[in-house]
Amino acid sequence: MIIEDTLPVLLSRLDFAWITSMHILWTPVTIGMSWLLFFLEIAWLRTGNEHWYRLQRFFEKLFIVNFGAGVATGVTMEMAFGILYGPFSQAVGPFFGNILGFETITAFMYEAGFIGLMIFGWGKIGKGMHAFATFNVALSSSLSAMWILVANGWMQSPTGIVLKNGLFQVTNWWQAIFNPNFNIGFPHMWIATVELSLFFFAAVSAWFILKNRHADLFTKLLKPTLLALIIITPLQIFIGDELGREVAQDQPTSLAAMEGHFHTYLPDGKPNTSWNLIAIPDVSAGKNLFSIQIPHVLSLLETHTWDGVVTGMDQFAPNDRPNVWVPFYSFRIMVAIGFFLFLMALWGNWLRLRGKLTAEHLRKNPLFLRLLVFSGFLPYLAVWTGWWTREIGRQPWVVYNLMRTWQGVSHMGVTAESFWLIGYIIFELMVWGGAWYFFTRVIQKGPDMNSPVIGSSDQDAHSSGGGMAKPAFAKPTMNKQH
Amino acid sequence: MDEIFRIHSTLGTFWWILLGVFFVIYIVLDGADLGAGVFSLLLNNENDRAAVMSSMAGTWDANETWLVVAGGVIFGAFPLVYGATFNYLMIPLMFALWGIISRAVAFEFHVHAKSSRKFWGFMFGFGSLIAALFAGIALGATLLGFPMATGNAQGIQVANDPFVNTVPHFSGNALSFLSAFSVWTGIGALIAGGLAGTLYLCARFEQNDPIYLKAHKAATLFSFLALAAVVITLIWSYAIMPDAAKWTGNSWFGWLILLIAILISAYKMMTNHAAHRDFSALLWCGAIVVFMWGGMWATNFPYIIPQTWTISAGANPANDLAILTLFMTGFVPVMITYNIYQIWVFRKRITHLAGYESH
Repeated sequence: MIIEDTLPVLLSRLDFAWITSMHILWTPVTIGMSWLLFFLEIAWLRTGNEHWYRLQRFFEKLFIVNFGAGVATGVTMEMAFGILYGPFSQAVGPFFGNILGFETITAFMYEAGFIGLMIFGWGKIGKGMHAFATFNVALSSSLSAMWILVANGWMQSPTGIVLKNGLFQVTNWWQAIFNPNFNIGFPHMWIATVELSLFFFAAVSAWFILKNRHADLFTKLLKPTLLALIIITPLQIFIGDELGREVAQDQPTSLAAMEGHFHTYLPDGKPNTSWNLIAIPDVSAGKNLFSIQIPHVLSLLETHTWDGVVTGMDQFAPNDRPNVWVPFYSFRIMVAIGFFLFLMALWGNWLRLRGKLTAEHLRKNPLFLRLLVFSGFLPYLAVWTGWWTREIGRQPWVVYNLMRTWQGVSHMGVTAESFWLIGYIIFELMVWGGAWYFFTRVIQKGPDMNSPVIGSSDQDAHSSGGGMAKPAFAKPTMNKQH
Repeated sequence: MDEIFRIHSTLGTFWWILLGVFFVIYIVLDGADLGAGVFSLLLNNENDRAAVMSSMAGTWDANETWLVVAGGVIFGAFPLVYGATFNYLMIPLMFALWGIISRAVAFEFHVHAKSSRKFWGFMFGFGSLIAALFAGIALGATLLGFPMATGNAQGIQVANDPFVNTVPHFSGNALSFLSAFSVWTGIGALIAGGLAGTLYLCARFEQNDPIYLKAHKAATLFSFLALAAVVITLIWSYAIMPDAAKWTGNSWFGWLILLIAILISAYKMMTNHAAHRDFSALLWCGAIVVFMWGGMWATNFPYIIPQTWTISAGANPANDLAILTLFMTGFVPVMITYNIYQIWVFRKRITHLAGYESH
């Protein structure tokens, strides 16, 4: 058994895996939906159509429920590197610590500095200033994702550094930041957040149309959402394929695990080109106990040639091999979801082309709407499985080929590690359960169609005080349109 | 080579000062929010608690994020300190984080809750209490230092491991942080938070509001408690901390001036508070924090963690520290500017009725 699978190290991995998996539930909505909210706000300001405003305010409520959970779990992540992986943090600190420092200063704080204005600034600051705040929240959360993917991408393909006196010291910042994995991994993750948020919009819209509540309003939202998805979903599949080829090149053990590819060559000496649809892998025996294979597909996928050689697990020492079960099946689930979501986007736009994307038509054949509601959950699963593939495929390394996971684990015992795990299971489930419960509460309540549109009257002061506090330099005319 | 070391040590000292600044900003801003949360446990009416929450609705997240910035700066500028110290502080940080999580989600859930409203109100107050208590414990534990060793942290021995016998890791146990002093600093943090929180609420609520009246009384009580806590902490620190010997050393005169500045600020805070000049009282309270934290930072010099990590031993290697300085220093004033703007937008006094409104 490799050291990474012995109890204290395995527990430290589980500790980190759990908080990461629970954190990544929230960030995609923060990153992706902030852009969508910005577009809704711009649409309202440009056209003056009230329905864009109503939709913005409605989804903003869901956004803020999600946001609190994202921040709370994110603060944990920031500290967990040092707590659970102290020696790792020290060794990678010269690069990785700097990047996390960049992230807190240019992104985390940047976002926090505008989120209050975005959520509670309605009526307290001008419309233009408010749209600016929303834009800053969107930009800062995307920047945050970028820095995190720089750091994580570098763990996958560490370039631009040299190991000296137990520290990874940077020799070339450019190469270290724009490491090969980041260049494709970041677009893949960022597009995932947009795709997830668009399906969030689509699923909520579909639910309202199904229930025949504000059906026309949500059909209005569904149209541009589906149009965006017909571009985003195939783009994501394309970028995913690029990332797969990148991993094949820079992290062959991970690719071999993802594809359950044990033998580089067949017994007759020819390259093993078969792609496994499903398999029962046995890592210790170094083979699949059972598999359904399609010849040439693996070579086509990874090398874009008919007979290209794809390095298999047999080229690596047993203690350098990752687990195969998790990457193999996680990867397949993610890919299947990617294609299913593409089909949903095609279906929706095909309905629109035939003029059938209206509330009455859709309700007559509710299968599309029901599947759309179901599709709202799938991107979450795809993000999870994708990240698991990435992280478990990299094992037994924490910095690929340079630092093994056990070398980075903190000085702590099984008791402390278990205490962490149990505590975080309780708290993060509370967060998850609470957030999803309040999502349903907000959705059931529906958009507020009655309260006056902000800026439509001069009287925005509340009985409880703390109302309109116009900044002296905000143009007063901003609040007096209509 | 000497030149490089000098640059390195200068940059290290620069980030050490900046780190001190970030901690002060965090303590002044979030200390008040946490303290207000602790005070909210004393309110019986759920709507009053909601009013306390809405008083900081637009700013709590940014205030809390200064802690993340401080954490990020430790990781970026002092990664060796970060990896060892956070490992040492595992248990207190874990509890503080659970408090922060409970409090953060309570903000978003409380407004939508009906049957669970009381529960989330409690989680807001109790989460604030746990976060402040354990942050204080972590601070006290840090001041006492911790044992380190250079072997593999998990005790796994393998031939030619490039990561052993180089950087020292934490080598105590999970409960090393626990001592009478660290428990006391935890309690001290609660008292200081209570003072800052009630002063903050006085500045945020209309002066005839019932919440204002309660907070005003509590702040008076907390200010006496805080004064006593400061005296106890100073005497205790002088008795057990080797670096505190500076206070009576050659430059005793400077330390005396600092002490007088603290006492004047405390006096100003209390008179302003009594005269209902709430914002001035809050600012004088902030001044006490600045003086005390600055004094603590200066006492520890050249250590960043007393008797454990010096600034230069814990800092990032020179070229990486230079990059951090080059790219990040310019952002600091920008960051402070938009935070001031956000706080300024939400400056108007509110009333307890704010608790009846959903956001």
